Amino acid sequence: MDIKNIRKDFPILSRIVRDKPLVYLDNAATTQKPSCVIEAISRLYENYNSNVHRGVYLLAEESTQAYEDSREAVRRFINANSTKEIIFTRNATEALNLVAYTWGEENIQNGDEIIVSIMEHHSNYLPWFRLAKKKGANIKIVPAKMNGELDIDAFKSMLSNKTKLVGITHMSNVFGTINPVKEITLLAHRYGATVVVDGAQSAPHMKVDVKDIDCDFFAISGHKMLGPTGIGALYAKERYLNSMEPFLSGGEMILRVTLESVDYNELPWKFEAGTPNYEGAIGLKVAIEYLEKIGMENIESYERELTTYALDRMKTVPDIFIYGPLDASKKGGIIAFNIKGVHSHDIGTILDSEGIAIRAGHHCAQPLMIDCGVSAMARASFYFYNTRQEIDALVDALKRAKEIFGHVA
Amino acid sequence: MSLEDLFKEIIIEHYQHPKNYGHIEHPDAKADGSNPLCGDEITMELTFDGNTVKNVMFTGNGCSISQSAASMITEAIKGKTIDEIKKLMSEYMNMLEGKDYDSELLGDLEALSDVKRYPARVKCASLSVAVLNQALQDKK
Repeated sequence: MDIKNIRKDFPILSRIVRDKPLVYLDNAATTQKPSCVIEAISRLYENYNSNVHRGVYLLAEESTQAYEDSREAVRRFINANSTKEIIFTRNATEALNLVAYTWGEENIQNGDEIIVSIMEHHSNYLPWFRLAKKKGANIKIVPAKMNGELDIDAFKSMLSNKTKLVGITHMSNVFGTINPVKEITLLAHRYGATVVVDGAQSAPHMKVDVKDIDCDFFAISGHKMLGPTGIGALYAKERYLNSMEPFLSGGEMILRVTLESVDYNELPWKFEAGTPNYEGAIGLKVAIEYLEKIGMENIESYERELTTYALDRMKTVPDIFIYGPLDASKKGGIIAFNIKGVHSHDIGTILDSEGIAIRAGHHCAQPLMIDCGVSAMARASFYFYNTRQEIDALVDALKRAKEIFGHVA
Repeated sequence: MSLEDLFKEIIIEHYQHPKNYGHIEHPDAKADGSNPLCGDEITMELTFDGNTVKNVMFTGNGCSISQSAASMITEAIKGKTIDEIKKLMSEYMNMLEGKDYDSELLGDLEALSDVKRYPARVKCASLSVAVLNQALQDKK
């Protein structure tokens, strides 16, 4: 991979921040956009903007085609069977909520059990938490082991005929842990449970094959994979979508409406009420094509190498504690850490003064923070446009942070 | 603008060795607050002699800015009347918001003046103000 040339595709990466070159290491929060994505959005508005699935004129045909082409790109990217199984949403959060508010509402009952992991982002915990409260169902939490990996034995022991749903993140947004979702799905299906995988962090960084995983639902987020904000997608097996009631109601999701009755639209439009974010979808398609051109296998192996380097270098910072797996083969390019005596918020500010952007806080995973006995962590997260030099800048700045706060007894 | 301007020695000193840290057995007023974004937490307990703060203690955890501000503010308000405290906090907020302020009145608290350059951190520095205002209000 020619990182130097790849970086030229991302205009923001040449920005100077606080008199220093920007070192952007907050890719788990959102990723930067290549020129081709930015230009695709401009091209829409300069050339063929019109609402999709509405008009009979040329512009409407073009925008509708571009929107549906994006659906095909998402299908191909995660290897779904059919574009009927791809529902555009605002983001992964909305995709997960869609499942909770439709399938969940219809199927979860009093006394049922929902299993989620301690590593879940709030977006794959709270929808199930609220559903369980409402229905009188019980939530079981799969713990993490000391090495930051999921305790799969604990998961196995929780499964029973009461298990109706398993919600699991493919890649933890804090630990970076890659969870064995295929194995989890296989085990859960033996008990007839439905499996929802949060792929917000995995899909941007590794080859995802929903058919191989065999999960029933899979959520992705466009802006975490070079696409614009406000676009995400839900993959769902067609038989699930056929049996589910629509989520939101309005335009687009109907075939025929009278004052007394409604016939819903075909899949996938049954689940896309109102004017969709076609701008976002069109940008996402170009982002996917960009990722495919580089190759997801190449991205994964480059990031693994970078993560190995980062783990090695970061260990040299005095009094650092790194959360999650220390073995880069078990995780993605996400490293959460604390430095004794320096609060993560202060780390964030000190790094910012060096032009380095990282995240500090609870990472929308407060149950995991509580489990780790902290209220906040600092987190550096990488993408394929990051370099070893940027890791060096990070490590130098972390050492500086430790110096500023002095020796802590 | 160097980091040493933001993380002045006095800030680090108050962070690592906070003043007035702990509890008061029978406080006349007590309030707590948190900054959900970063998890900073402050609890303040006060006793009064009429309208004058007799004693104040705080507990909490969080970043150097939030904790040092709590330490410095508790130092600054001891022995002051509620009106004096309100004036002091108003000047302190002026400083954090980049407005003109009374430097002499603020004393040590002026060490936090560079926080205004980091808008994301102003909430850390002002958490104690919100908690203190709440406590003063509850005292009645």
